[in-house]
Amino acid sequence: MKIVIAGAGSVGRYMADQLRSSGHAVTLIDQTPAIVDRFGSDGAVTWCLGDACEMATLQTVGAADADVVAAVTGDDEDNLVIALLAKQEFGVPRVVARVNNPNNEWMFNEMWGVDVSVSTPHLLTAVVEEAVNVGSFVRLLSLEGGNARLAEVTLTDTSPAIGIEIASLGLPRESTVVALIRDRHVVVPRGDTVLRTNDEVLVLVTGDAEDDVRRVLVG
Amino acid sequence: MAGLLRRRRPKPADAGSTDPSIVSIAVAPARRMVKVCGEVTRMRARPTTGLPALAVSISDDSGTAVAVWTGRRAIGGVVLGRRLVIEGVAVRRGDQLEFMNPEYTLLRR
Repeated sequence: MKIVIAGAGSVGRYMADQLRSSGHAVTLIDQTPAIVDRFGSDGAVTWCLGDACEMATLQTVGAADADVVAAVTGDDEDNLVIALLAKQEFGVPRVVARVNNPNNEWMFNEMWGVDVSVSTPHLLTAVVEEAVNVGSFVRLLSLEGGNARLAEVTLTDTSPAIGIEIASLGLPRESTVVALIRDRHVVVPRGDTVLRTNDEVLVLVTGDAEDDVRRVLVG
Repeated sequence: MAGLLRRRRPKPADAGSTDPSIVSIAVAPARRMVKVCGEVTRMRARPTTGLPALAVSISDDSGTAVAVWTGRRAIGGVVLGRRLVIEGVAVRRGDQLEFMNPEYTLLRR
């Protein structure tokens, strides 16, 4: 896959490194000469010194045939402009954008060409919440502009789901159990998997089914 | 930002329909700047993730393309039956060509 990453800070460089080692063709764009001078000698990744908010720069790095563009600069305005240009001017199939300030997250949607947004502050909040909130419903990740969410519940012994097979839980159709973490192992859930206390249940929920899922798993 | 600023400015009517760079919708390539011309056959105000967007289907003899303009529910002059020239980069969604915020020209009826 051809991947263009805008923003070669620690996030962009780490992504480039990981993606390259999984065999993808990665191009990094950054507008700071010092960064490109310092890291640009890494021959495995293509580097480009330029402003990714400019059409010409995106053209140069071949956004027109990129499979993914990831806008991961430290500036939300730039990330939005890059996402919009990638989608509107180059028809990039998958556009990923980083949210730096959670107050801006509402803008990271289809209207700005963003397919997937990743908000570090929200992820951190979710992880902390998940660590402290046993027995409650914690949202981990939003997909499709918030239409689908990955949520997690750690079951306490007061949960109505204990001792019941997943197929008989009565979960709404708009949701599905995607994984269980039991004794530090990931269990692939089947219809006949019986839930136990301390299971961490990962549920994918779409639409408005969240309340029903909460009722089934938390009580 | 240049790409953002040149958008959404209708050109004077009449240019276009005989423009040699216009290609038929069925053979228009995806992910390249193309110009197509056709009649508005369907209009839909559709909310994309709760936000307004106008999806306009444009048909020529060969097929149908969809132009989506985000952030608006209507565009002056773009009505059913009107002929338009659409210029932009399209993607193939299923078997349909879809433009996002393309440049458009209203043709004389």
